[in-house]
Amino acid sequence: MNSSWRRSLAPRAAGVVYAFIALVAILTITSAVQGRPSYLSSVNLSNILDQSALIAILAIFMTVVLISGNFDLSVASTAALAGTVALKTIDSYGPVVALLAALVTGALVGLVNAVLVQKLGVNAFIVTLGTLTAVRGVVQAILDGQSITATDTTLLDLATARWTLPIAVAIVIGVLLIAGAVVLVRRGSSIVATAGLWFAGLALILLAVFRPLMLTQTAPVWIMLVLAVLTALVLRFTVVGRNLYAVGGNPEAARLSGIAVDRYKMVAFVVNGTVAAMVGVLYAGRFNSVDPTVLTGGELTVIAAAVLGGTSLFGGSGYVAKSVVGTLILFTLSNGFNVLNIGSNYQNVVQGTVLVAAASLYTATSGRERRRFRLALRRGKGDPPASAKPEEKVLVS
Amino acid sequence: MVTSPVLAVRDVEKTYTSGTRALRGVSMRVQPGTVHGLIGANGAGKSTLIKILSGWQQASAGTVEWKGEPVDWSQPGQALEAGMAAVHQHTPLVDAMTVVENVFLGRRETKRWDAAARRTELLALCERVGYELNPDELVSELSVGARQMVAILQALARDPDVVLLDEPTAALSPAEREVLFRSVRRLRDAGTTFVYTSHFLDEVMALTDHLTVLRDGLVVVDSPTADVTVESLVTAIVGKRLARLEAAAPAARAVGAPVLRVRGLASPGHFGPVDLTVHEGEVVGLAGLLGSGRTELLEAIYRADPASTGEVRVDDISVRHSPRAAVRAGLALVPEDRARQGFIRDWEIWRNISLPYLSGMSWRRLLPQAVREKQLALKAVDDLGIVAGSADSPVGELSGGNAQKVVFAKWVYGPARVLLLDEPSAGVDVGAKADILQLVRRLADDGRGVLMVSSEFEELLTACDRILVIRRGEIVADLTAADTDLHEVTALASGLKEGLPA
Ligand SMILES: Nc1ncnc2c1ncn2[C@@H]1O[C@H](COP(=O)(O)OP(=O)(O)OP(=O)(O)O)[C@@H](O)[C@H]1O
Ligand SMILES: [Mg+2]
Repeated sequence: MNSSWRRSLAPRAAGVVYAFIALVAILTITSAVQGRPSYLSSVNLSNILDQSALIAILAIFMTVVLISGNFDLSVASTAALAGTVALKTIDSYGPVVALLAALVTGALVGLVNAVLVQKLGVNAFIVTLGTLTAVRGVVQAILDGQSITATDTTLLDLATARWTLPIAVAIVIGVLLIAGAVVLVRRGSSIVATAGLWFAGLALILLAVFRPLMLTQTAPVWIMLVLAVLTALVLRFTVVGRNLYAVGGNPEAARLSGIAVDRYKMVAFVVNGTVAAMVGVLYAGRFNSVDPTVLTGGELTVIAAAVLGGTSLFGGSGYVAKSVVGTLILFTLSNGFNVLNIGSNYQNVVQGTVLVAAASLYTATSGRERRRFRLALRRGKGDPPASAKPEEKVLVS
Repeated sequence: MVTSPVLAVRDVEKTYTSGTRALRGVSMRVQPGTVHGLIGANGAGKSTLIKILSGWQQASAGTVEWKGEPVDWSQPGQALEAGMAAVHQHTPLVDAMTVVENVFLGRRETKRWDAAARRTELLALCERVGYELNPDELVSELSVGARQMVAILQALARDPDVVLLDEPTAALSPAEREVLFRSVRRLRDAGTTFVYTSHFLDEVMALTDHLTVLRDGLVVVDSPTADVTVESLVTAIVGKRLARLEAAAPAARAVGAPVLRVRGLASPGHFGPVDLTVHEGEVVGLAGLLGSGRTELLEAIYRADPASTGEVRVDDISVRHSPRAAVRAGLALVPEDRARQGFIRDWEIWRNISLPYLSGMSWRRLLPQAVREKQLALKAVDDLGIVAGSADSPVGELSGGNAQKVVFAKWVYGPARVLLLDEPSAGVDVGAKADILQLVRRLADDGRGVLMVSSEFEELLTACDRILVIRRGEIVADLTAADTDLHEVTALASGLKEGLPA
């Protein structure tokens, strides 16, 4: 119990949270010193949440794909295509059909990825690099260099709606979350394993009592939160989640343990495509327009967020909540640049540095043994030790 | 002896970062031109010592002396350069490379990679050793035994002064063992020194000149092999734990209805059409040499070989073509290559053990219940004598034999009707071997069927009711264990004697 506490509080496990807290603290202090409006104001915090919500949704499901041992570069293109499809169809067929068409489009892209990777056995990086390019090409072909808008504003209304969670409801949900945690602990989960539930429940209650303004957020933020909680619960506490980690951790062992490895990996792709489509629709809705370059490069931000959150690029490990925090870090950084009026020219430099620094930190703190194995490997003398192989692939975990 | 040792360790200690004290002050002197046996139970610290000797890991305290000089190797490359080669327990080979590329991996005598010369050199080496290998085959295509031989050749190809062999025979068939023993003896007579680790005591007694027995990281016996007996060794190895070496000879048992029926099962290139039946309460042994198709046959029965054709029935219900369907139908497979197919390194013992039957241990088949999983793991740790810090230790941190036991434990506590065991006792110590064989017997007595592959035919003869001999992918004999002997099984398996097709 004691050592599991220590392990889960170590920088390797909780680093992203520390980094986020430190970042927010720095920005808060700096803006206070410079006499700017409080960085921690509800308006500013809601603003950051709203900006990061859509990328965070993508990061959640990217984490799922990464855990399953795959890789998906095509999400941003898929989102762009789905947004285009939605805006193209909404005026003639109505919002429901438009949404469905968009989601089906996303699911299809996911299915193509899934079949090529799992059934034909082509490397996921290459397949999704291909779909990234091809799907973007389809967007460009449809839009033909123009940006389009829709007259039907349903999507616009949805993407910019502000939903308020009544204080009483917030408290009830918070209590339910904590109750769930209690039940799980009774059933044998450790307190550490249920930390997310305790934390979420407590945070919700505290917000409801002390910061009721924070209970009003845009629809994408609420959707992100709900998806994050649901996915985290499924991954952490269900058989499906456990099997998904097994599939990424050692596919052969999982297969021989009777787990349908292909099915898990393919479903991860399809779900990811569908969710990307939903994000695309919300993104298109936010401005009620799409142009051919919409969300270009977004996949890299998404993967960066997942990696910041400590997800292994080699499968078998990763946490949804940490990927969300990773997204928040990226957006807090750029928000901080704006708030502090620092030239946005340096933004990418800083983001890139933060990413590499985080990855290095995870690797460096993952035990001296491993580091030495890796050193020995890199120098490439003699036989590479067997157990160094799996170790070496733990880029971050 | 007055000669100075070629290799010596003094008061070596090793504490892993996880806190496990694998060695607590071990001293050992290896005389040149001898075979030095290093034995002990699973988790005693043998592999750890070998890793320290070979420069893979550093000792936490103590010194290593090479030819009288204290050395502080921080990389395997330094040890290799000095003239010491190691074959580790889990053969580290580069899967994507061919046999010849692996054998000469990391060699730098010449800048240029002269493929033809390497091949000739390898073939000459094979010739000397008396083993056949296709130099151009990819290592990933090889069986576990052949991989082991590649690793051994890799060590021998460097012409080292000292060779460290960590359980080289665990994955080898009798024929390959012979090949290895011959080479070891020949090289020793030519002056090469060996440090040799094994759980096969007969092997150790026959091959070694001097013995060091480790128990819980301490030396408990250090004497010439001639001065010890097998009985005293067993006691030294297992300590207080009861050693039940002799499994009760299988009495004639009433067997029940057929539980596994295989009809016309074939996999092109591996084994021909095979028919076999296993009954409830029956332990059937599958005796065959390496490459006879025994592992492939087990995998095909488990429906893990997509290329196979034919029918597998469990309790008279045909099993569809996937391991998942096989598990649902009541089959269980303990695979041969545990590290690659058996467990997830980063997972705790309890999560590994519960994996195949997780839904059965879950609330409404949906939410896994850690309490039950951990209870099961504790039971397994206890039953099989798994040496580990706790049930929370990651399996990647266990010693080779203890990791094997975890893989075994994954299946034996489940509801499987038929257990397919591929070398269930390879790499486990004498005490645990008896425990495992007894457990297998108990499983059969509970009304399950067991089909078991082992390279140790003696083991099959004691543990099984019936023995099927497989040669070149065909079942050539169906023998009642009580009516046959080691000689006959070996002769049939190697083709010295023709059997009647079963
Ligand atoms: N990388 C590691 N991290 C932590 N503990 C380890 C590690 N490797 C081995 N151990 C522990 O050290 C002890 C000795 O292990 P070692 O591998 O030397 O045993 P062994 O004598 O070779 O056993 P076997 O016969 O099963 O191969 C065991 O308790 C094992 O759990
Ligand atoms: Mg060992």
